Amino acid sequence: MPTSQVVPSDIPGKEQASRSVEYFQSVYELFKSSQQETGPLERSYMIGGYRIGLNFSGPALLSLNRALEHLAADEDSTPDLSICLWDSESTGQPMSPRPWQEGDFLARGVIQGYNTDRIHTAFQHGSGAVSVLDLERNLAVFWSPDWRLPYWEIGSPLRTILHWWLLSKGLQLVHAAAVGNSSGGVLIGGKGGSGKSTTALACLESNLSYVGDDYTLLGFDSRPVVHSLYNSAKLNGDQVKRFPSLLPKISNTERSAEEKALLFVSEHYPTKVATRLPVRAILVPRVTGLAETRLRRISVAMTLAALAPSTIFQLPRAGDEAFKFLATFARQLPCFSLELGTDLSTIPPVIEGLLAEIDSAGLCVREE
Amino acid sequence: MSNQRFRVNTPTVTHETIDGEAVIINLESGNYYSLMEVGSFIWGLVEKGASVGEVQNLVLQAYQGNAADIDRGVHELLIQLQQENLIVSIDGRVAFDPSELNGTLPSNNSHEKPLFNPPLLHKYSDMQELLLLDPIHDVDDAGWPKPNPDPPK
Repeated sequence: MPTSQVVPSDIPGKEQASRSVEYFQSVYELFKSSQQETGPLERSYMIGGYRIGLNFSGPALLSLNRALEHLAADEDSTPDLSICLWDSESTGQPMSPRPWQEGDFLARGVIQGYNTDRIHTAFQHGSGAVSVLDLERNLAVFWSPDWRLPYWEIGSPLRTILHWWLLSKGLQLVHAAAVGNSSGGVLIGGKGGSGKSTTALACLESNLSYVGDDYTLLGFDSRPVVHSLYNSAKLNGDQVKRFPSLLPKISNTERSAEEKALLFVSEHYPTKVATRLPVRAILVPRVTGLAETRLRRISVAMTLAALAPSTIFQLPRAGDEAFKFLATFARQLPCFSLELGTDLSTIPPVIEGLLAEIDSAGLCVREE
Repeated sequence: MSNQRFRVNTPTVTHETIDGEAVIINLESGNYYSLMEVGSFIWGLVEKGASVGEVQNLVLQAYQGNAADIDRGVHELLIQLQQENLIVSIDGRVAFDPSELNGTLPSNNSHEKPLFNPPLLHKYSDMQELLLLDPIHDVDDAGWPKPNPDPPK
């Protein structure tokens, strides 16, 4: 049985450091071997202002691109981070036996004994994928046993590697949606099922732009900003019923019995996706059962409690640093409970009204 | 007991206090907590190294209430915080400097002292499922756990 321990107990010493570097290199060599048969295939994306190069071993894992296509960039420049992707099923290149013990699988997939300041290693129990990152070389490897990946991996690809690397650049991946307009955006944070996706999808037919509906990227550019990360929306059965116009746009209808519906927003609403917006407020959605949507001012601490745990407990190695980042971010913004009405058409005007009010009244960055 | 001191159970625990409300996360259990008003005040004192007796005295100075109620309220909260592994007892004296509290007391004016209400530790366990580990039933020949098709959340 794996242990429930979250924080690795062993202090990275010389032995662990060299073991981790050697492990990374061995996985990287296996990737290069896999490419000898399939040939290289490269894609480039601008994520949070950084050029991320994806280096595939054959076309089998290209399904991971769709959620990032709205951020596609030319491939002429050297990437800031290169991620190598391969699977054993399509390439025939097996992964090496795992060198650690069963008890070294920690919570959130962190591998004890193979994590240092430089090398990050995690296992994804759901897909069986391994993610390793060498921060010093700005090089990562993603391996999956099979090219047929679960819908949530296709919807939020490479989340672990991107979280690790972008954090080193001062950007925090957050479990939150975001929408907005020329006045700026609102971050919509809360745990799964709180109404983030419903809010973001309800705005697709409005004047508001879509930044993301599940995971987005936060940063500071003198003021808080949100960057788009994935253009994918995952809808449960009830949401599909509430958005009948989205039904023909669902990408995985043939697997609707076992998977959430997956929609790639930029494929159907290419002009609606905003890649970056200054954040003017944080909203914490709450389903009320009332018809109308309304806002209620809430404390920063309450907002942080909605935003931080659901972010931190999904991300390997996230902890104190992520919490402090989100606290600093939230401290600078007005925070509201977004009490969602059953009439979805009432959601966008409330958000537009708030952004207009902030714009005109200067109700924006809080004084520290 | 009155000389006993604690420290926040870092790195297992991370916390922030904003506008008099404390948010505390236990990174190992998946539980998170909030403390408001006097609870947040007590948390801040414990974090700064105040002993139980010093906490009780400072709460008595800052809030309206009788000493017995305050002593009991402080004691019960500290027990809860220990039970949730948010604070751990430490040995020996630490340099607690009450002057660090300047500006953080609820009020310096005795007429404006807020009423003491027993502090409540609000506990939230709705994130624990994200930390539940997939039991490893099957491994392949190379020792890799077989994928679990159920989504992680």
